[in-house]
Amino acid sequence: MYKALVCCRAGMGSSMLLKIKADQVISENNFPIKTEHGNLDSLMGFNGDLVITMEDLSAELKDKVPYALGVRNIMDKVEMKAKMEEFLASKEK
Amino acid sequence: MLKDLVSEKLIKLQIEASDWEDAVRKAAQPLVDEGKVKTSYVDDIIKGVKEMGPYIVLTKHVALPHARPESGALESAIGIATLKTPVEFGNEDNDPVKYLFSLSAKDSSEHLGALADLAVLFEDKAFFELLDRTTDPKEIMDYINK
Repeated sequence: MYKALVCCRAGMGSSMLLKIKADQVISENNFPIKTEHGNLDSLMGFNGDLVITMEDLSAELKDKVPYALGVRNIMDKVEMKAKMEEFLASKEK
Repeated sequence: MLKDLVSEKLIKLQIEASDWEDAVRKAAQPLVDEGKVKTSYVDDIIKGVKEMGPYIVLTKHVALPHARPESGALESAIGIATLKTPVEFGNEDNDPVKYLFSLSAKDSSEHLGALADLAVLFEDKAFFELLDRTTDPKEIMDYINK
């Protein structure tokens, strides 16, 4: 099981919606990912496997976290599924 | 629940805005007027977008302006605004923005249910058709209360 942090700048708005949608995609596809939710401060000391955030933030995080998954359209489950599959594939190498 | 955080006074339909900053300020103004947030909260929303990019634009034509609770959220609330003329936020995937859901988030547990309701509404075509059509906040409330 991989541990994901879903975060945005405030940890109050985007990230919560993002977590709701990410959890839907994860359960629909039985992905071995468990999400928790936080803000940018939660990144310090985060020891999980990937960070799920909005695309603009993900560019900034890329060098700071093990894996940054940036979502462009929060309601686009096809996009989110593809990006999670990409992450899972990167782990299988 | 969403209906607990929205009220007619927090809904502004078909407003005119010159750019994204003007749109955010006008959409969030009812939250200031109703004592849901301090002006500093709105300032922090603008600052956030300037510093971090248009991350509050979540999906096609939809923005969720919000900031950190400590910047001046007084009570949890959600305002709904539509723009007469959509504006660009600089988010290439989801521009132009026409619908703004201003969020005052006091503590995270309180508005989680409301956000879950919003997630459902964002997939509801009839809701956006209503937003395009009506200028009466009551119609929006009736739809949300349904």
